[in-house]
Amino acid sequence: MSRDEIRDQVFTITAREFGLDAGAIQESDQFVDDLGADSLKSIELVAAYEEEFELDLNEEEALRVQTVGGAIDFFEKLLV
Amino acid sequence: MIEVEGISKPCGLFHAHIHDCEIGDDVRIASIGTVVSNYVIESHVFVENVSALVADTTASFGNGVELEPVNEGGGRGVTIFNDLTAQTAYLQAMLKHDDDFSEKMGALIDAHVASQTSGTGRISSGVTILHCGEIRNVNVGPSAILHRAARLENGTVNSCPEHPTEVGPGVHAESFVISEGATVDGAAIIDNVFVGQGARIGKQFSAENSLFFANSEGFHGEAVAVFGGPYTVTHHKSTLLIAGLFSFYNAGSGSNQSNHMYKLGPVHQGVLERGCKTGSFSYLLHETHLGAFSVVLGKHLVNINIPHLPFSYIYAEGNDTKMIPAMNIFSIGTVRDGEKWPQRDRRKCRHLRDLIIFEVFSPYTVEKMCSGRDALQALSAETSKEKTFINHGGVQIKRLMLRKGAKFYSMAIRRYLNLKVWERLSSALQSGGNWTDAVASLVPATDLDSPALWTDIAGLLTPRQRMRSLLDAVKAGTISSYQDALAELQRMHDQYGSDEWAYVCHLFSREHGRSVSELTCELAGMLLEEWHEMATSLHAMILEDAKKEFGAQSRIGYGLDLTEDEAAADFESVRGTIETNSVINKLNAEREALEGQYVEWKTLLEKYTK
Repeated sequence: MSRDEIRDQVFTITAREFGLDAGAIQESDQFVDDLGADSLKSIELVAAYEEEFELDLNEEEALRVQTVGGAIDFFEKLLV
Repeated sequence: MIEVEGISKPCGLFHAHIHDCEIGDDVRIASIGTVVSNYVIESHVFVENVSALVADTTASFGNGVELEPVNEGGGRGVTIFNDLTAQTAYLQAMLKHDDDFSEKMGALIDAHVASQTSGTGRISSGVTILHCGEIRNVNVGPSAILHRAARLENGTVNSCPEHPTEVGPGVHAESFVISEGATVDGAAIIDNVFVGQGARIGKQFSAENSLFFANSEGFHGEAVAVFGGPYTVTHHKSTLLIAGLFSFYNAGSGSNQSNHMYKLGPVHQGVLERGCKTGSFSYLLHETHLGAFSVVLGKHLVNINIPHLPFSYIYAEGNDTKMIPAMNIFSIGTVRDGEKWPQRDRRKCRHLRDLIIFEVFSPYTVEKMCSGRDALQALSAETSKEKTFINHGGVQIKRLMLRKGAKFYSMAIRRYLNLKVWERLSSALQSGGNWTDAVASLVPATDLDSPALWTDIAGLLTPRQRMRSLLDAVKAGTISSYQDALAELQRMHDQYGSDEWAYVCHLFSREHGRSVSELTCELAGMLLEEWHEMATSLHAMILEDAKKEFGAQSRIGYGLDLTEDEAAADFESVRGTIETNSVINKLNAEREALEGQYVEWKTLLEKYTK
């Protein structure tokens, strides 16, 4: 999977989970401060990424990711 | 002379009409409005400026009063008396299916109450009664302080010198028993109420047909037909607790439940298992049954029935009730609650009436998590990927969270199981035995046939088999007095450790398909690694949850009209920093201890694998 494909999927999943248009998401967006993720939303987001990328993530590591760009980097390491 | 409020006053009788009383040494009775009648007043008692202190010859002093908790419409009657405990109240209220037991337990209680009551009132030694209204048919225990109470009728204020009970300003109490070390003040109104040891009722709280056991707190709000097990806490105005069974419960402001559907009357009831919290202005429609350590936010117009899904987070989205299972396993709030309850046990009496097992992760909650894990896995397997939400037990669960919830339950189960096994194993190995002997010593010596099935008897966690044995013994007459029943409950409490170990071994067999006696070095190593992974992962999630309290959202509203640096400084001066926060520092220290424990056990195991 290329970085661009991962980026597209991260944008799509993130937008869907936050009820936003994918075009409104930026790599610099912080999950908590910009998108308003609380503990619940963070866990739901991890679950959504897991299903989409068919991965079983370590929550401890996944929840450390702060930004959308960070998520792309995170999955790039796992998938590319 | 006798001292009160720092001033010594002469003993004796002053401006008081005394009728049919027996009065001990060093007593001052002064300024009585009408009469002191039919009382034994022991030594060192101070009674001054009291409207009347009267006992009828037929009085029972609140003993034998029947309350109707849990279900306002009745049917769950509980007789209150001096020696009532959370457990014997539970046995009365919640086992109504067994007529024979209810009848025989009722007879034991009636006999006990009859043996404890007398037709004469008693003010025990060291009591102070000052500036009170009418006190009629009220017994007062040693060293109690009744100060500016408005009216007390048909009750007992139990007390002890180690922990004097206080009844304070403006209190109206009728048909009540207040236990040692409790405080009832602040113009509280209680009617048909039992107040347990160390409990606090005040700030205009009103309650009727309710029980509040050890260390419960009721301020400002209202309670009707509440069975408040140990640590039932409600502090806020507009909070109405009604018709429910609670324990280790925290009610947010405006928490409310509905037990009246305008059909057959107020006949509906709710069960919030231990450790639940209801957030501000949350509403629950009874009947409700929530799993232990669940949190409720918002208004819920459905009947929720999810006792097998503990540690759940239940919230409202529009008119829908949604739930995320297992979320509270790694909530810093749950961790703090688990630590604070034993620390906040205010009871100082030598005899602690309510038997309490404090553990958050116990056979009771772990077995519920096992059921929850299995249920979520089954739901996940059968649910189409097309579905976003599924309905279960009255709540909507996001499909994606079925698998995730099952995973969190699994992590907590394995963390508990592997830790318990390793605690025992390491202890056995460190005492010098070889591997075979150490593993053999793990086999539990238990008489339990069903170690997996537990119950929570209002704070006392015990195998259901033990409770059934108690019921059988009462029915067979083997337990022939109330004191015998208390002794049996105490034994159940004392057996918790060995019964828990029997459960752990049962769980081990179920999870690993072999007996704990077949534990090999290799498997022990796997258990250790798995425990380390689960424990560190869950711990890290708890730490991250705690750190959120210092994130950008937590800083909203700090540093008004100031620069960013000044706003940060304002926040830090009020809230502190991550580095200085005591909870976070404690979590960090626990993480270090966890690592230390892991290394110690790994080193120990290496001696047997070489």
